Amino acid sequence: MGSISRMAAIATNTLREAIRNRLLYVLLFFAVSLMCAGIFLSALAYVEGERVLQNVGLGATRIFSVVIAIFVGVNLIHRDVERRTVYTILSKPLTRTEFLLGKFAGLVLTIWLQLTIMVVVFVAVSLLAGAPLDAGHAAAFILIGAELVLIVAVATFFSAFTSPMLASFFSAGIWGIGHLTRDLRDIGASSQSEAVQSATVWLHRVLPDLESFNLTIEAVHGLPISAADVGLALVYAAGYATLVLFAATAVFSRRDFR
Amino acid sequence: MGASDPVVSVEGVVKDFHAGFRLRRKRVLHGISFGVRKGEIFGFVGPNGAGKTTTLKVLMGLIGASAGRATILGCDVRDASVRRHVGFLPENPYFYDYLTGREILCFYARLSGVPRAHRDARVEELLGWVGLEQAAGARLRTYSKGMLQRIGIAQALVHDPQVVFLDEPMSGLDPIGRMEIRELILRLRSEGKTVFMNTHILPDVEMVCDRVAIIVNGRIRHEGAVDSFLGEGEPEADLVLAAVPAEVSMQLEQGFGAVLRGHGDRLEVRVREKHVQDVLAASLEAGAQVVSVTPPQMSLESIFLHAVEERD
Repeated sequence: MGSISRMAAIATNTLREAIRNRLLYVLLFFAVSLMCAGIFLSALAYVEGERVLQNVGLGATRIFSVVIAIFVGVNLIHRDVERRTVYTILSKPLTRTEFLLGKFAGLVLTIWLQLTIMVVVFVAVSLLAGAPLDAGHAAAFILIGAELVLIVAVATFFSAFTSPMLASFFSAGIWGIGHLTRDLRDIGASSQSEAVQSATVWLHRVLPDLESFNLTIEAVHGLPISAADVGLALVYAAGYATLVLFAATAVFSRRDFR
Repeated sequence: MGASDPVVSVEGVVKDFHAGFRLRRKRVLHGISFGVRKGEIFGFVGPNGAGKTTTLKVLMGLIGASAGRATILGCDVRDASVRRHVGFLPENPYFYDYLTGREILCFYARLSGVPRAHRDARVEELLGWVGLEQAAGARLRTYSKGMLQRIGIAQALVHDPQVVFLDEPMSGLDPIGRMEIRELILRLRSEGKTVFMNTHILPDVEMVCDRVAIIVNGRIRHEGAVDSFLGEGEPEADLVLAAVPAEVSMQLEQGFGAVLRGHGDRLEVRVREKHVQDVLAASLEAGAQVVSVTPPQMSLESIFLHAVEERD
Protein backbone atom coordinates (compact mmCIF):
# COMPACT_ATOMS: atom_id res chain seq x y z
CA MET A 1 0.00 0.00 0.00
CA GLY A 2 2.83 2.36 0.94
CA SER A 3 4.59 1.51 -2.27
CA ILE A 4 1.49 2.32 -4.35
CA SER A 5 1.04 5.61 -2.52
CA ARG A 6 4.67 6.62 -3.13
CA MET A 7 4.45 5.72 -6.83
CA ALA A 8 1.14 7.60 -7.08
CA ALA A 9 2.84 10.68 -5.56
CA ILE A 10 5.60 10.52 -8.19
CA ALA A 11 3.09 9.83 -10.99
CA THR A 12 0.83 12.72 -10.01
CA ASN A 13 3.75 15.10 -9.84
CA THR A 14 5.10 13.83 -13.16
CA LEU A 15 1.73 14.50 -14.77
CA ARG A 16 1.70 17.95 -13.22
CA GLU A 17 5.23 18.64 -14.48
CA ALA A 18 4.56 17.25 -17.96
CA ILE A 19 1.43 19.29 -18.56
CA ARG A 20 3.46 22.40 -17.77
CA ASN A 21 5.77 21.57 -20.67
CA ARG A 22 5.05 24.02 -23.49
CA LEU A 23 6.43 21.61 -26.07
CA LEU A 24 3.47 19.35 -25.37
CA TYR A 25 1.01 22.11 -26.23
CA VAL A 26 2.89 23.08 -29.38
CA LEU A 27 2.84 19.48 -30.62
CA LEU A 28 -0.79 19.06 -29.60
CA PHE A 29 -1.64 22.24 -31.50
CA PHE A 30 0.04 20.93 -34.66
CA ALA A 31 -1.69 17.56 -34.32
CA VAL A 32 -5.11 19.13 -33.92
CA SER A 33 -4.39 21.58 -36.77
CA LEU A 34 -3.43 18.71 -39.05
CA MET A 35 -6.58 16.81 -38.13
CA CYS A 36 -8.70 19.87 -38.87
CA ALA A 37 -6.79 20.44 -42.12
CA GLY A 38 -7.96 16.94 -43.03
CA ILE A 39 -11.36 18.49 -43.78
CA PHE A 40 -9.82 20.56 -46.58
CA LEU A 41 -7.73 17.65 -47.82
CA SER A 42 -10.83 15.47 -47.98
CA ALA A 43 -12.64 18.18 -49.97
CA LEU A 44 -9.82 18.07 -52.51
CA ALA A 45 -10.08 14.30 -52.91
CA TYR A 46 -12.13 13.07 -55.90
CA VAL A 47 -13.46 10.04 -54.06
CA GLU A 48 -13.64 8.75 -50.47
CA GLY A 49 -12.96 12.14 -48.93
CA GLU A 50 -14.00 10.97 -45.48
CA ARG A 51 -11.41 8.16 -45.64
CA VAL A 52 -8.68 10.64 -46.47
CA LEU A 53 -9.87 12.68 -43.49
CA GLN A 54 -9.73 9.73 -41.12
CA ASN A 55 -6.44 8.47 -42.52
CA VAL A 56 -4.87 11.86 -41.86
CA GLY A 57 -6.50 12.01 -38.41
CA LEU A 58 -5.27 8.60 -37.27
CA GLY A 59 -1.83 9.19 -38.79
CA ALA A 60 -1.49 12.58 -37.09
CA THR A 61 -2.63 11.11 -33.79
CA ARG A 62 -0.03 8.32 -33.96
CA ILE A 63 2.90 10.45 -35.12
CA PHE A 64 2.36 13.38 -32.77
CA SER A 65 1.58 11.15 -29.79
CA VAL A 66 4.82 9.27 -30.33
CA VAL A 67 6.79 12.49 -30.71
CA ILE A 68 5.26 13.81 -27.47
CA ALA A 69 5.92 10.49 -25.70
CA ILE A 70 9.57 10.50 -26.73
CA PHE A 71 10.39 14.15 -26.18
CA VAL A 72 8.58 14.50 -22.88
CA GLY A 73 9.60 11.02 -21.73
CA VAL A 74 13.34 11.22 -22.29
CA ASN A 75 13.60 14.46 -20.35
CA LEU A 76 11.69 13.55 -17.23
CA ILE A 77 14.27 11.48 -15.39
CA HIS A 78 17.21 13.39 -16.83
CA ARG A 79 15.81 16.69 -15.54
CA ASP A 80 15.44 15.29 -12.03
CA VAL A 81 19.02 14.04 -12.09
CA GLU A 82 20.48 17.18 -13.61
CA ARG A 83 18.64 19.54 -11.26
CA ARG A 84 19.36 17.16 -8.38
CA THR A 85 15.73 16.92 -7.28
CA VAL A 86 16.38 13.19 -7.39
CA TYR A 87 18.67 13.58 -4.34
CA THR A 88 15.88 14.64 -2.01
CA ILE A 89 13.37 12.25 -3.57
CA LEU A 90 15.59 9.18 -3.31
CA SER A 91 16.61 10.12 0.23
CA LYS A 92 13.03 9.29 1.23
CA PRO A 93 11.99 5.68 1.90
CA LEU A 94 11.35 5.18 -1.79
CA THR A 95 13.08 2.55 -3.89
CA ARG A 96 14.51 3.45 -7.26
CA THR A 97 12.08 1.01 -8.85
CA GLU A 98 9.15 2.88 -7.28
CA PHE A 99 10.57 6.17 -8.55
CA LEU A 100 11.02 4.89 -12.09
CA LEU A 101 7.62 3.20 -12.24
CA GLY A 102 6.00 6.34 -10.81
CA LYS A 103 7.64 8.42 -13.53
CA PHE A 104 6.51 5.91 -16.16
CA ALA A 105 2.93 5.91 -14.87
CA GLY A 106 2.83 9.72 -14.81
CA LEU A 107 4.05 9.90 -18.37
CA VAL A 108 1.54 7.29 -19.55
CA LEU A 109 -1.23 9.34 -17.92
CA THR A 110 0.05 12.45 -19.71
CA ILE A 111 0.17 10.71 -23.07
CA TRP A 112 -3.27 9.17 -22.63
CA LEU A 113 -4.65 12.57 -21.66
CA GLN A 114 -3.37 14.15 -24.86
CA LEU A 115 -4.56 11.09 -26.80
CA THR A 116 -8.05 11.63 -25.38
CA ILE A 117 -7.98 15.23 -26.61
CA MET A 118 -6.98 14.02 -30.08
CA VAL A 119 -9.74 11.40 -30.06
CA VAL A 120 -12.29 14.09 -29.19
CA VAL A 121 -11.04 16.26 -32.06
CA PHE A 122 -11.04 13.25 -34.41
CA VAL A 123 -14.64 12.41 -33.52
CA ALA A 124 -15.73 16.04 -33.86
CA VAL A 125 -14.05 16.44 -37.25
CA SER A 126 -15.48 13.10 -38.47
CA LEU A 127 -18.98 14.09 -37.41
CA LEU A 128 -18.60 17.47 -39.09
CA ALA A 129 -17.48 15.83 -42.31
CA GLY A 130 -20.15 13.13 -42.08
CA ALA A 131 -17.55 10.35 -41.93
CA PRO A 132 -18.65 7.04 -40.38
CA LEU A 133 -17.52 6.12 -36.85
CA ASP A 134 -17.69 2.59 -35.46
CA ALA A 135 -16.00 0.10 -33.14
CA GLY A 136 -13.12 -0.23 -35.57
CA HIS A 137 -12.10 3.36 -34.85
CA ALA A 138 -12.29 2.72 -31.13
CA ALA A 139 -10.07 -0.35 -31.53
CA ALA A 140 -7.58 1.66 -33.60
CA PHE A 141 -7.29 4.32 -30.90
CA ILE A 142 -7.02 1.72 -28.13
CA LEU A 143 -4.09 0.12 -29.94
CA ILE A 144 -2.46 3.53 -30.50
CA GLY A 145 -2.75 3.94 -26.71
CA ALA A 146 -1.07 0.53 -26.23
CA GLU A 147 1.70 1.40 -28.69
CA LEU A 148 2.31 4.60 -26.75
CA VAL A 149 2.70 2.65 -23.51
CA LEU A 150 5.39 0.59 -25.17
CA ILE A 151 7.16 3.65 -26.58
CA VAL A 152 7.01 5.40 -23.19
CA ALA A 153 8.60 2.31 -21.63
CA VAL A 154 11.37 2.41 -24.25
CA ALA A 155 11.92 6.17 -23.68
CA THR A 156 12.01 5.56 -19.92
CA PHE A 157 14.55 2.79 -20.39
CA PHE A 158 16.94 4.95 -22.40
CA SER A 159 16.44 7.99 -20.18
CA ALA A 160 17.44 5.86 -17.18
CA PHE A 161 21.07 5.90 -18.28
CA THR A 162 21.76 8.21 -21.24
CA SER A 163 21.38 11.85 -22.20
CA PRO A 164 18.04 13.12 -23.56
CA MET A 165 19.47 13.52 -27.04
CA LEU A 166 20.72 9.94 -27.23
CA ALA A 167 17.59 8.64 -25.53
CA SER A 168 15.33 10.40 -28.03
CA PHE A 169 17.49 9.23 -30.93
CA PHE A 170 17.37 5.59 -29.73
CA SER A 171 13.66 5.72 -28.89
CA ALA A 172 12.74 7.22 -32.26
CA GLY A 173 14.94 4.61 -33.92
CA ILE A 174 13.20 1.78 -32.09
CA TRP A 175 9.84 3.20 -33.09
CA GLY A 176 10.83 3.50 -36.74
CA ILE A 177 12.36 0.03 -36.91
CA GLY A 178 9.47 -1.36 -34.87
CA HIS A 179 7.12 -0.48 -37.73
CA LEU A 180 9.38 -2.25 -40.21
CA THR A 181 10.30 -5.48 -38.40
CA ARG A 182 7.33 -7.38 -39.83
CA ASP A 183 8.24 -6.30 -43.39
CA LEU A 184 11.89 -7.13 -42.72
CA ARG A 185 10.94 -10.60 -41.55
CA ASP A 186 8.81 -11.16 -44.66
CA ILE A 187 11.59 -9.91 -46.94
CA GLY A 188 14.12 -12.05 -45.06
CA ALA A 189 11.92 -15.12 -45.47
CA SER A 190 12.19 -14.84 -49.24
CA SER A 191 15.98 -14.57 -49.08
CA GLN A 192 18.23 -17.44 -50.21
CA SER A 193 20.57 -16.87 -47.29
CA GLU A 194 19.82 -18.69 -44.04
CA ALA A 195 21.77 -16.09 -42.12
CA VAL A 196 19.57 -13.29 -43.45
CA GLN A 197 16.47 -15.34 -42.71
CA SER A 198 17.41 -16.02 -39.12
CA ALA A 199 18.68 -12.45 -38.58
CA THR A 200 15.39 -10.93 -39.73
CA VAL A 201 13.41 -13.44 -37.65
CA TRP A 202 15.43 -12.53 -34.57
CA LEU A 203 15.07 -8.83 -35.26
CA HIS A 204 11.32 -9.33 -35.42
CA ARG A 205 11.40 -11.25 -32.14
CA VAL A 206 13.64 -8.90 -30.19
CA LEU A 207 12.47 -5.49 -31.43
CA PRO A 208 8.86 -4.50 -30.90
CA ASP A 209 6.47 -5.37 -33.71
CA LEU A 210 4.63 -2.06 -33.75
CA GLU A 211 2.59 -2.89 -36.83
CA SER A 212 0.53 -5.10 -34.48
CA PHE A 213 -0.92 -1.84 -33.18
CA ASN A 214 -1.73 -0.32 -36.55
CA LEU A 215 -5.41 -0.74 -37.43
CA THR A 216 -5.66 2.41 -39.54
CA ILE A 217 -6.53 0.65 -42.79
CA GLU A 218 -9.09 -1.65 -41.13
CA ALA A 219 -10.74 1.23 -39.25
CA VAL A 220 -10.82 3.65 -42.17
CA HIS A 221 -12.09 1.10 -44.68
CA GLY A 222 -14.53 -0.59 -42.31
CA LEU A 223 -12.78 -3.97 -42.55
CA PRO A 224 -13.47 -6.58 -39.86
CA ILE A 225 -11.22 -6.45 -36.79
CA SER A 226 -10.87 -9.54 -34.65
CA ALA A 227 -11.26 -9.01 -30.91
CA ALA A 228 -8.64 -11.72 -30.42
CA ASP A 229 -6.10 -9.71 -32.47
CA VAL A 230 -6.78 -6.61 -30.39
CA GLY A 231 -6.53 -8.64 -27.17
CA LEU A 232 -3.26 -10.24 -28.28
CA ALA A 233 -1.81 -6.86 -29.22
CA LEU A 234 -2.73 -5.52 -25.77
CA VAL A 235 -1.09 -8.50 -24.05
CA TYR A 236 1.96 -8.09 -26.29
CA ALA A 237 2.24 -4.39 -25.37
CA ALA A 238 1.89 -5.14 -21.66
CA GLY A 239 4.44 -7.95 -21.80
CA TYR A 240 6.98 -6.05 -23.87
CA ALA A 241 6.63 -2.89 -21.76
CA THR A 242 7.06 -4.96 -18.58
CA LEU A 243 10.29 -6.48 -19.89
CA VAL A 244 11.64 -3.08 -20.95
CA LEU A 245 10.74 -1.57 -17.57
CA PHE A 246 12.37 -4.49 -15.81
CA ALA A 247 15.58 -3.75 -17.72
CA ALA A 248 15.19 -0.02 -16.99
CA THR A 249 14.87 -0.58 -13.23
CA ALA A 250 17.86 -2.94 -13.27
CA VAL A 251 20.01 -0.27 -14.93
CA PHE A 252 18.62 2.61 -12.86
CA SER A 253 19.09 0.77 -9.57
CA ARG A 254 22.82 0.47 -10.21
CA ARG A 255 23.32 4.02 -11.35
CA ASP A 256 25.56 6.35 -9.34
CA PHE A 257 24.24 9.90 -8.95
CA ARG A 258 27.54 11.76 -8.95
CA MET B 1 21.66 -2.04 17.82
CA GLY B 2 23.06 -1.34 21.30
CA ALA B 3 22.73 1.98 23.14
CA SER B 4 26.45 2.68 22.79
CA ASP B 5 26.63 1.74 19.11
CA PRO B 6 27.13 4.61 16.69
CA VAL B 7 24.02 5.87 14.94
CA VAL B 8 26.01 6.28 11.73
CA SER B 9 28.88 3.90 11.11
CA VAL B 10 31.29 4.01 8.19
CA GLU B 11 33.84 1.21 8.07
CA GLY B 12 36.57 1.07 5.45
CA VAL B 13 34.47 2.64 2.74
CA VAL B 14 36.18 2.87 -0.62
CA LYS B 15 34.72 4.58 -3.65
CA ASP B 16 36.16 4.37 -7.13
CA PHE B 17 34.82 6.24 -10.11
CA HIS B 18 35.56 5.19 -13.64
CA ALA B 19 35.95 7.93 -16.21
CA GLY B 20 36.97 8.42 -19.79
CA PHE B 21 36.85 6.15 -22.79
CA ARG B 22 39.18 3.62 -21.14
CA LEU B 23 37.17 3.77 -17.89
CA ARG B 24 40.26 4.73 -15.91
CA ARG B 25 39.75 4.24 -12.21
CA LYS B 26 39.89 7.21 -9.88
CA ARG B 27 39.73 6.48 -6.15
CA VAL B 28 37.97 9.25 -4.24
CA LEU B 29 37.47 7.52 -0.88
CA HIS B 30 40.38 5.48 0.48
CA GLY B 31 38.84 3.19 3.07
CA ILE B 32 37.42 5.84 5.39
CA SER B 33 36.04 4.94 8.82
CA PHE B 34 34.23 7.00 11.44
CA GLY B 35 31.18 6.89 13.66
CA VAL B 36 28.49 9.35 14.72
CA ARG B 37 26.97 9.05 18.18
CA LYS B 38 23.35 9.46 19.12
CA GLY B 39 22.20 13.03 19.75
CA GLU B 40 25.37 14.80 18.63
CA ILE B 41 26.06 17.29 15.88
CA PHE B 42 28.86 15.79 13.85
CA GLY B 43 30.84 18.01 11.54
CA PHE B 44 32.37 16.39 8.48
CA VAL B 45 34.99 18.88 7.41
CA GLY B 46 37.29 19.05 4.43
CA PRO B 47 38.43 21.21 1.55
CA ASN B 48 36.59 21.17 -1.76
CA GLY B 49 37.07 17.86 -3.54
CA ALA B 50 38.08 16.01 -0.36
CA GLY B 51 35.25 13.49 -0.60
CA LYS B 52 32.67 14.97 1.78
CA THR B 53 29.73 14.94 -0.61
CA THR B 54 30.74 11.54 -2.00
CA THR B 55 30.66 10.15 1.55
CA LEU B 56 27.26 11.68 2.13
CA LYS B 57 25.95 10.26 -1.14
CA VAL B 58 27.17 6.81 -0.11
CA LEU B 59 25.28 7.22 3.18
CA MET B 60 22.14 8.30 1.30
CA GLY B 61 22.37 5.38 -1.11
CA LEU B 62 22.77 7.75 -4.06
CA ILE B 63 26.04 6.08 -5.00
CA GLY B 64 27.26 2.64 -4.07
CA ALA B 65 30.48 2.03 -2.16
CA SER B 66 33.12 0.03 -4.05
CA ALA B 67 34.15 -1.64 -0.78
CA GLY B 68 33.49 -1.33 2.94
CA ARG B 69 30.28 -0.99 4.89
CA ALA B 70 28.10 1.95 5.87
CA THR B 71 25.16 1.65 8.25
CA ILE B 72 22.61 3.98 9.75
CA LEU B 73 20.88 2.82 12.94
CA GLY B 74 22.45 -0.57 12.33
CA CYS B 75 20.89 -1.02 8.86
CA ASP B 76 22.82 -1.10 5.63
CA VAL B 77 22.44 2.20 3.78
CA ARG B 78 21.41 0.38 0.60
CA ASP B 79 18.18 -0.67 2.31
CA ALA B 80 15.59 1.99 1.38
CA SER B 81 13.60 1.29 4.55
CA VAL B 82 16.37 2.83 6.71
CA ARG B 83 15.49 6.17 5.18
CA ARG B 84 12.27 6.21 7.18
CA HIS B 85 14.51 7.44 9.98
CA VAL B 86 16.75 9.70 7.92
CA GLY B 87 16.38 13.26 6.64
CA PHE B 88 18.65 14.79 4.00
CA LEU B 89 19.33 18.30 2.79
CA PRO B 90 21.65 18.31 -0.26
CA GLU B 91 24.01 21.14 -1.10
CA ASN B 92 22.27 23.95 -3.02
CA PRO B 93 18.99 22.04 -3.07
CA TYR B 94 16.65 22.39 -6.01
CA PHE B 95 12.98 21.62 -5.70
CA TYR B 96 10.11 21.60 -8.16
CA ASP B 97 9.80 25.37 -8.35
CA TYR B 98 6.29 25.32 -9.79
CA LEU B 99 5.03 24.01 -6.45
CA THR B 100 4.33 26.17 -3.41
CA GLY B 101 6.13 25.68 -0.11
CA ARG B 102 3.10 23.88 1.28
CA GLU B 103 2.70 21.66 -1.81
CA ILE B 104 6.34 20.56 -1.83
CA LEU B 105 6.17 19.57 1.83
CA CYS B 106 2.95 17.62 1.17
CA PHE B 107 4.70 15.87 -1.74
CA TYR B 108 7.67 14.85 0.42
CA ALA B 109 5.36 13.87 3.29
CA ARG B 110 3.53 11.55 0.93
CA LEU B 111 6.80 10.03 -0.30
CA SER B 112 7.92 9.59 3.29
CA GLY B 113 4.79 7.70 4.24
CA VAL B 114 3.33 10.31 6.59
CA PRO B 115 -0.31 9.16 7.08
CA ARG B 116 -2.84 11.28 5.23
CA ALA B 117 -4.64 12.08 8.49
CA HIS B 118 -1.53 13.72 9.96
CA ARG B 119 -0.02 15.12 6.78
CA ASP B 120 -1.56 18.60 6.73
CA ALA B 121 -0.94 19.17 10.43
CA ARG B 122 2.69 18.06 10.10
CA VAL B 123 3.25 20.35 7.12
CA GLU B 124 1.79 23.36 8.94
CA GLU B 125 3.87 22.53 12.02
CA LEU B 126 7.07 22.44 9.95
CA LEU B 127 6.24 25.63 8.07
CA GLY B 128 5.96 27.32 11.46
CA TRP B 129 9.13 25.63 12.69
CA VAL B 130 11.22 27.05 9.84
CA GLY B 131 9.39 30.39 9.85
CA LEU B 132 7.78 30.11 6.44
CA GLU B 133 4.07 30.32 7.33
CA GLN B 134 3.69 33.61 5.44
CA ALA B 135 5.37 32.27 2.29
CA ALA B 136 3.73 28.84 2.36
CA GLY B 137 1.37 29.68 -0.52
CA ALA B 138 4.05 31.19 -2.76
CA ARG B 139 5.74 29.19 -5.50
CA LEU B 140 9.28 28.11 -4.73
CA ARG B 141 10.65 30.02 -7.72
CA THR B 142 9.94 33.22 -5.77
CA TYR B 143 11.89 32.04 -2.69
CA SER B 144 15.27 33.48 -1.70
CA LYS B 145 18.23 31.15 -1.16
CA GLY B 146 17.76 31.31 2.59
CA MET B 147 14.07 30.44 2.28
CA LEU B 148 14.91 27.51 -0.01
CA GLN B 149 17.43 26.29 2.54
CA ARG B 150 14.76 26.46 5.25
CA ILE B 151 12.19 24.64 3.11
CA GLY B 152 14.97 22.12 2.44
CA ILE B 153 15.42 21.55 6.15
CA ALA B 154 11.64 21.26 6.54
CA GLN B 155 11.43 18.55 3.85
CA ALA B 156 14.27 16.71 5.56
CA LEU B 157 12.27 16.70 8.79
CA VAL B 158 8.84 16.02 7.35
CA HIS B 159 8.73 12.42 8.59
CA ASP B 160 10.33 13.25 11.95
CA PRO B 161 13.61 11.39 11.29
CA GLN B 162 16.09 10.41 14.00
CA VAL B 163 19.15 11.32 11.95
CA VAL B 164 19.49 14.41 9.77
CA PHE B 165 22.20 14.80 7.11
CA LEU B 166 22.99 18.32 5.91
CA ASP B 167 25.36 18.99 3.03
CA GLU B 168 26.91 22.47 3.28
CA PRO B 169 23.78 23.89 4.92
CA MET B 170 25.21 27.39 5.27
CA SER B 171 27.00 27.75 1.97
CA GLY B 172 26.04 30.81 -0.03
CA LEU B 173 23.94 32.31 2.76
CA ASP B 174 24.31 35.83 4.11
CA PRO B 175 25.22 36.24 7.81
CA ILE B 176 21.57 36.39 8.89
CA GLY B 177 20.71 33.32 6.86
CA ARG B 178 23.66 31.46 8.39
CA MET B 179 22.60 32.43 11.86
CA GLU B 180 19.04 31.21 11.21
CA ILE B 181 20.25 27.86 9.91
CA ARG B 182 22.67 27.52 12.86
CA GLU B 183 19.79 28.06 15.24
CA LEU B 184 17.67 25.46 13.43
CA ILE B 185 20.52 22.94 13.69
CA LEU B 186 20.92 23.59 17.42
CA ARG B 187 17.16 23.15 17.84
CA LEU B 188 17.42 19.77 16.13
CA ARG B 189 19.97 18.66 18.73
CA SER B 190 17.81 19.97 21.57
CA GLU B 191 15.00 17.78 20.21
CA GLY B 192 17.25 14.74 20.46
CA LYS B 193 18.08 14.33 16.80
CA THR B 194 21.50 13.31 15.53
CA VAL B 195 22.88 15.73 12.96
CA PHE B 196 25.60 14.98 10.41
CA MET B 197 26.83 18.15 8.75
CA ASN B 198 29.18 18.47 5.78
CA THR B 199 30.88 21.81 5.70
CA HIS B 200 34.05 23.73 5.06
CA ILE B 201 32.97 26.81 7.08
CA LEU B 202 35.05 26.23 10.20
CA PRO B 203 33.62 28.95 12.47
CA ASP B 204 30.20 27.33 12.05
CA VAL B 205 31.67 23.97 13.01
CA GLU B 206 33.24 25.46 16.13
CA MET B 207 29.92 27.05 17.06
CA VAL B 208 27.56 24.12 16.58
CA CYS B 209 29.40 20.80 16.33
CA ASP B 210 30.17 18.42 19.20
CA ARG B 211 32.55 16.23 17.25
CA VAL B 212 34.29 16.53 13.97
CA ALA B 213 36.12 14.44 11.39
CA ILE B 214 38.49 16.04 8.92
CA ILE B 215 38.72 14.44 5.50
CA VAL B 216 41.46 15.33 3.04
CA ASN B 217 41.95 13.66 -0.32
CA GLY B 218 39.52 10.89 0.54
CA ARG B 219 41.26 9.99 3.83
CA ILE B 220 40.18 10.79 7.39
CA ARG B 221 42.97 12.85 8.99
CA HIS B 222 41.46 13.59 12.39
CA GLU B 223 38.38 12.60 14.32
CA GLY B 224 37.38 13.76 17.77
CA ALA B 225 35.55 16.28 19.94
CA VAL B 226 35.74 19.90 18.79
CA ASP B 227 36.81 20.96 22.32
CA SER B 228 39.75 18.57 22.25
CA PHE B 229 40.91 20.01 18.93
CA LEU B 230 40.80 23.53 20.30
CA GLY B 231 43.23 22.66 23.08
CA GLU B 232 45.55 20.51 21.01
CA GLY B 233 48.91 21.24 19.42
CA GLU B 234 51.24 24.20 19.58
CA PRO B 235 49.54 27.58 19.15
CA GLU B 236 50.46 29.81 16.25
CA ALA B 237 50.10 33.53 15.65
CA ASP B 238 49.37 35.40 12.45
CA LEU B 239 51.35 38.56 11.68
CA VAL B 240 50.89 40.95 8.78
CA LEU B 241 54.04 42.90 7.86
CA ALA B 242 54.72 45.52 5.20
CA ALA B 243 57.87 46.56 3.36
CA VAL B 244 59.77 43.45 4.36
CA PRO B 245 63.16 43.16 2.63
CA ALA B 246 63.66 39.91 0.71
CA GLU B 247 66.57 38.75 2.85
CA VAL B 248 64.46 39.15 5.98
CA SER B 249 61.67 37.03 4.44
CA MET B 250 64.23 34.29 3.90
CA GLN B 251 65.45 34.64 7.48
CA LEU B 252 61.91 34.35 8.84
CA GLU B 253 61.29 31.24 6.81
CA GLN B 254 64.57 29.49 7.46
CA GLY B 255 65.35 30.78 10.95
CA PHE B 256 61.92 30.59 12.57
CA GLY B 257 60.04 28.12 10.37
CA ALA B 258 57.48 30.79 9.47
CA VAL B 259 54.92 30.16 6.72
CA LEU B 260 54.78 33.18 4.40
CA ARG B 261 52.12 34.38 1.99
CA GLY B 262 52.67 37.56 0.01
CA HIS B 263 49.89 39.99 -0.98
CA GLY B 264 51.35 42.97 -2.87
CA ASP B 265 53.79 44.71 -0.53
CA ARG B 266 52.28 42.93 2.47
CA LEU B 267 53.42 39.66 3.89
CA GLU B 268 51.26 37.30 5.96
CA VAL B 269 53.41 35.39 8.42
CA ARG B 270 52.20 32.38 10.40
CA VAL B 271 54.67 31.47 13.12
CA ARG B 272 54.80 29.45 16.34
CA GLU B 273 53.97 31.41 19.47
CA LYS B 274 57.50 31.04 20.89
CA HIS B 275 59.03 32.79 17.84
CA VAL B 276 56.65 35.78 17.71
CA GLN B 277 58.94 38.16 19.63
CA ASP B 278 62.01 37.17 17.58
CA VAL B 279 60.16 37.58 14.27
CA LEU B 280 58.86 41.01 15.28
CA ALA B 281 62.31 42.12 16.42
CA ALA B 282 64.03 40.94 13.25
CA SER B 283 61.41 42.58 11.05
CA LEU B 284 61.43 45.93 12.81
CA GLU B 285 65.23 45.98 12.84
CA ALA B 286 65.24 45.53 9.05
CA GLY B 287 62.84 48.48 8.63
CA ALA B 288 59.63 46.50 8.07
CA GLN B 289 56.30 47.78 9.38
CA VAL B 290 54.00 45.71 11.56
CA VAL B 291 50.42 46.00 10.23
CA SER B 292 48.73 43.55 12.62
CA VAL B 293 49.37 40.75 15.06
CA THR B 294 46.64 38.15 15.68
CA PRO B 295 47.06 36.56 19.11
CA PRO B 296 48.10 32.92 19.27
CA GLN B 297 45.23 30.47 19.05
CA MET B 298 45.08 26.78 18.30
CA SER B 299 41.81 26.67 16.43
CA LEU B 300 40.13 24.10 14.31
CA GLU B 301 41.36 26.14 11.38
CA SER B 302 44.99 25.42 12.33
CA ILE B 303 44.27 21.71 12.61
CA PHE B 304 42.44 21.85 9.33
CA LEU B 305 45.23 23.71 7.55
CA HIS B 306 47.82 21.32 8.96
CA ALA B 307 45.80 18.39 7.73
CA VAL B 308 45.54 19.92 4.27
CA GLU B 309 49.26 20.77 4.24
CA GLU B 310 50.12 17.18 5.21
CA ARG B 311 48.45 16.17 1.97
CA ASP B 312 50.90 18.32 0.00
